[in-house]
Parts: sequence; structure tokens; C-alpha cells
Amino acid sequence: MMLSLPQLAEAFGQLLRNGATRPEGQAPEHPGSPGAANLAAPATACRLTDYALKGYHLDVTVSPGEVVSAASLLDGEGFALDAITGLDWMADGQMEVVYDYFHPRNALRVVVRTRLPRAEPVVPTISTVFPGANWHEREAHDFFGIRFLGHPDLTPLLLPEDADYHPLRKDFALS
Amino acid sequence: MEPQTELDCSPLVRFAALDDLLALGRANSLWPLTFGLACCAIEMMAAGASRFDLSRFGAEVFRASPRQADVMIVAGTINKKMAAAVKTLYDQMPEPKWVIAMGNCAISGGPFVFPGQYAVVEGVDKLFPVDVFVPGCPPRPEALIEGILELEKKITGRRRWPVVKPQ
Amino acid sequence: MMPQTERSAADGPQETFVLNLGPQHPATHGVLRVKLTMDGEYITRAEPVPGYIHRMHEKMGENRTWAQFLPNTSRIDYLSAMTYTHAYVAAVERAARIEVPLRAEYIRVITSELNRLSSHLVWFGAFLLDLGGFTPLLYAFDDREKILDLLEGLTGSRLTYCYYRIGGVCNDVDEAFVQGTRDFVAQMRPRFGMYRDLVTDNVILRKRLEGIGPISAELCRRYGATGPVIRGAGVPYDVRKVEPYSVYGQFDFEIPVFPEGDCMARYRVRMEEMAQSLRIIEQAIDRLPAGPVMAPSVPRVLKPPPGDCCFAVEAARGRFAVRIVSDGKEIPYRVKLRTPSFSNLSLFEEASRGMLLPDALALMGSLDLVIPDIDR
Repeated sequence: MMLSLPQLAEAFGQLLRNGATRPEGQAPEHPGSPGAANLAAPATACRLTDYALKGYHLDVTVSPGEVVSAASLLDGEGFALDAITGLDWMADGQMEVVYDYFHPRNALRVVVRTRLPRAEPVVPTISTVFPGANWHEREAHDFFGIRFLGHPDLTPLLLPEDADYHPLRKDFALS
Repeated sequence: MEPQTELDCSPLVRFAALDDLLALGRANSLWPLTFGLACCAIEMMAAGASRFDLSRFGAEVFRASPRQADVMIVAGTINKKMAAAVKTLYDQMPEPKWVIAMGNCAISGGPFVFPGQYAVVEGVDKLFPVDVFVPGCPPRPEALIEGILELEKKITGRRRWPVVKPQ
Repeated sequence: MMPQTERSAADGPQETFVLNLGPQHPATHGVLRVKLTMDGEYITRAEPVPGYIHRMHEKMGENRTWAQFLPNTSRIDYLSAMTYTHAYVAAVERAARIEVPLRAEYIRVITSELNRLSSHLVWFGAFLLDLGGFTPLLYAFDDREKILDLLEGLTGSRLTYCYYRIGGVCNDVDEAFVQGTRDFVAQMRPRFGMYRDLVTDNVILRKRLEGIGPISAELCRRYGATGPVIRGAGVPYDVRKVEPYSVYGQFDFEIPVFPEGDCMARYRVRMEEMAQSLRIIEQAIDRLPAGPVMAPSVPRVLKPPPGDCCFAVEAARGRFAVRIVSDGKEIPYRVKLRTPSFSNLSLFEEASRGMLLPDALALMGSLDLVIPDIDR
């Protein structure tokens, strides 16, 4: 039961329409632009992208509460988790969490993004869906301080056990 | 009978020569600790492999346990998380022991030093004394062999193997 | 220390103990620590603790220009350095819409496949060393030295090359390299027969690897494991075929896939891949087109347009992907490195439960880890 790309986009559209109580908006074309996500009314959107230009086929923007259902949808379609990473948009006061997915049987690449307030970056864990997310989320926590709710063991992975700093934040400086 | 002078003492009581003998023995049978941390470890393995053959200089017996090793060839970057373990390994090595810092990372942090860096110890000599520095990123196996020969010279006082001059 | 009780260790319930493997250990192939909770010789829980060689590559991506990051790319996984540099330069080229000349693409394929061969040879030697055989290491390193001679003549480096540039490659190949590569391919092919007789058909190796460390395709998918790990589980996932890049689509080669999912399957995948790499190199050297090796007008100060961009390659260990985020400046905003060893090791905890310790080490060796690849 493998969906084609347009079917997958439609499935995401369904998911976002069912879950979202807010109107759909366009995902921002350029990061850091004035169109950066308005967290009071987060935009949810699903766009097909040009693989030759971007390296992925589908770009889905969700609200933080929907990352688990997006992960479940992709898990059901046989996707694997490529990476989870953070992006510190300090100028916008936001943190972005980017979930990259690839499919082991076909060439589809899906990116799921969500934006969090920088002062309190909290998002549910997807390690219940993809066990591989366990380490990716620990790494994102190490580097950005993003808290993944429900994560079984959010201790430092790559940094020393007693590390209390988050090096990839844009305002990081060793005291 | 006249007391024997230093010059014609019996060979059995020439303590100065015994030191020389021990130094010669130690220098020509250095047992390195398998302490490859990163990229330089591969060149260290290549130095021990058949083309460059560290075994010619007596140093092919890499020991995994620091208790059995003479020389710690620090091959790779020392991370702050790893620093305590490196120090423990150094402390576990019995005397006499030597340290070769192989590669730029072990000498001074290498290419990973930048303003605001948070994870790398800038040189293994910040943790304990180093005897020989072998620069390179990574140094060629011949450079590591030259480092071993420098160490032998440091131990015995004489360089036993000649420097090969380019033609 | 507490005094020993009267009864012997054989009476009463067995207790588990924690054994620390690493960070300095000959079988961890670098500085990896694994906290093993052991019940005698059996592992009840193996918790890898990486981070001992974290070298801040992603942070360094944010404080130097796009071109200045190139030396870092070789040092993430130093054994297949060319492929890693390839992913990074191709990501930047994709973002900045730079077209690479055909000759440069061919040279990239040839050097990447030579690099893959030399990486698999190191894996082969080190894996056999873990299992207790010292001799194959010497043979493998001898063959590897021939590859390194070729690449050193071309690039100047033996291990951490910085040969690719954004827009092409640094310098052209010469006739010595072309002829040397042809000679190497002719000389290397018969060596596989020797490796088969000496190692693959060895009854001790068979007993050590067959049926050991089963990893299913579903386990790979749940953890994102790629490379020979997933191909040894029966899934023909290879980025060179699934998301073809560079000029791989023009060559005739196969993806070795073995369904058993045990250590022997992963071993066989890598041995077959070496033979397939030789095929690709042969075809590429024969068809090497004339032309420039650098794109004509790459700006000296490169400023890709704002936005993100991904590029994935099949490195020796699996899928390596770079995600770059640009905000229009000459310094990247973010460079995210998705490394294969990170995902491959993350399944170790689940896969090694209940295994004997030597078998778990065989499993870890068959995953082909390079620890700086995990820690970046």
C-alpha cells in the first residue's frame, strides 16, 4: 500500500484539515522573511517541491501538536526517518524543528517542519513511532535545547553528561 | 692490587652501560598503546601494516591495555569529554613511559580550533607531557616512523637509523 | 572492598553487572563507549555512549564560508572522505544552480569509487581483526596502499582529501592516473578470489558470522539504518540507484543484496560492492570525456539564494545527506550532516539484546562504524 506523491500530499492535506482548526496558509518561501510563521495562528501547509532544486519532494509544515500524526502517517506508508534537526531563527524568536524522511523502497523524500517559540521550544517526541528518533531528538536537545515531551531519556548524547549549554544556538558563547 | 679505574672496570659492574643497555632495549622494542582516536589512527594502522612496517623498528606490538604499553601514540583529536579517560590511561601506564602526539589535533587542537570552540582540548600537552610531536593532518606513516626514531634518539641519546636524504 | 560471602558464585540468583566497553577499546573502532549490562556472558542491555570525538562540524559550518568548510567534510568520515565532500559540494551546487562539467562528474565518480574500495578494505581488515584474524588486515592494507598511491598522485593527500571544489574538482587527472587506475583494476580483480579463499570460505569465519546478529528490514527502517546494513537485510536501497546523482545513471552496475540479515550477509554485501566499484571505475575511466574540470563562472564569494537544500550520496557506510540552509550570505546559516553510522549504531541496543559479547562485537563490526561519523 504505497501511495504515490500526489496521493501522499492529499493524505497530508486530509490530516492537516482534520486536525487543524486554523485556516491553511502558505509555508514561508524564504526563512527569516516577514512571512515567518505566526505562532499565534500557525500555518499548516503541504507543498510539492522540485526535487532537482531542493533535494526533496514534499514539504509539509505542521503545528507542533501534529508532528506525531505526521510521523504516524509516514510510518504507515513505510517511510524511514532520515534526521531530525533544529534551526535557530533567533531574529524571529523561533526555533524550527525539521524532520527529514526517506523511503527505503522508492525515491520519495518528505520534509516535515514545525516552528516553536524560542523561549520555550517544546514539541512532542516521535520516538514512539520511530525508535530511531530517540537519538536524533537527544542530539537536537543537545544542540538547541529543544525539549521533546515524552522522550524516555533526554540526556546529553554528544555533549558531556553534565553539559548545560546548547552550542548551535545563535547566541551561544562559552562563559 | 691497584683499585680499578673507570676506564678498565670489569664489564659486569659498569652501571652506566647498564642504563645504556636498558635504554637501547626500551627504545628498540617500544610497545605502543592502541590509542587511535580519529583520522590519524588510520595512518597509524598503515604505519603498522606491511608497506611501512613499524615492526622493523620494534614497535609493532600494539597493546590494548595501558598496563602493558610503553608509549602512548595519541593519534587524533582529544575531546573534552574524552580528556578524563585519556588522563586515566596515561596514569595507568607504568614507568618508563613516553607520549608521541601524532597529528595536528594532538599537538594543538588541529583544524578544530576556532573562536568559541567548546569541545576540543587544544593539544594533548595540556593534559600531560609529550615527548615527540609529529605534525601533519594526518601525518604520513613515514612521519610517524620518524617520530618513533626521534623518540628512540631521545631515549638512547643517539639516532641509530640514519636520516635518508632526498637525492 | 566488601568481604566475600561464604557461598560460592554458583549458588543463588545470578546478578547482572555493568561492563564498560571503551572509550578506548580495540574493537570499538574509535572512541565509542558502550555500557553493557551483562548477565554472565550475555548482554541484557547495551547502551552506546557516543560523543567522545565530537568535533563540532555543524558549528564550524556556521562560522566559515561555504568553501572554507570543505576540509571539514573529509574529516567527518575520513575513510570515505571523497563521498562526503561530494555530498557537500553537490548540495551547494544544487542551491547555487551551478552546473558541473561532465569530465569533473566522471572524475568525481572514479575517485568516489576508489575511495569506497579503500574504505571497504579498511573495514575488511579491521573486522577480521575484531574476529581474531590478523593476516587479512595486512593484505587489505597492501591493496589499499595502491589506491592511496593513485589518489595521492592526483590530490596530494592519502586520507583526508580536499579535492572537490564547488563547481568541479581542483585539478585534472593526468595520464599516469588513468593508466595507473586501469592497472589497478586489472590487478585488484583477481585478489577477490584470494580473499574468498582465504577469508570468506574460511570455516571459522562462517561459524562466527552466519546466523549472528540478525537485523531485519523492518528494524532498519525503524531506525533509519542504510548502506550494507539494509542491503544485508534484503532491501535494495542504494542512493546511487534510488536517488541517482552525478553520472551514476550512465554506468552499468548492480546493487548486491542478501536477504539473510545476519553478519555474513552484510559481509557479503561489502565484498560484492568492492567488485561492483571496480566495474564502475572501469567504465568511467574508459568513457572519461574531454573538457574542463571546473564550472566556468563560480563566484569567488559564493552566496547561494536563501532557502534550504538537501543532497544525499551513498557513502561507504550508507546514506550520507547534507542539508544546507542559506540566508543569502557567504557563510552558511546551518549545515546539517545526516550520517549513516549514527543511524546504524542507534539500532545496536535493540539488536544486541540477549547476545553473547563476542557475537555483539561481531555485530558491531559488521555495522562498519566510524565513530567521528556518529559524533560529527
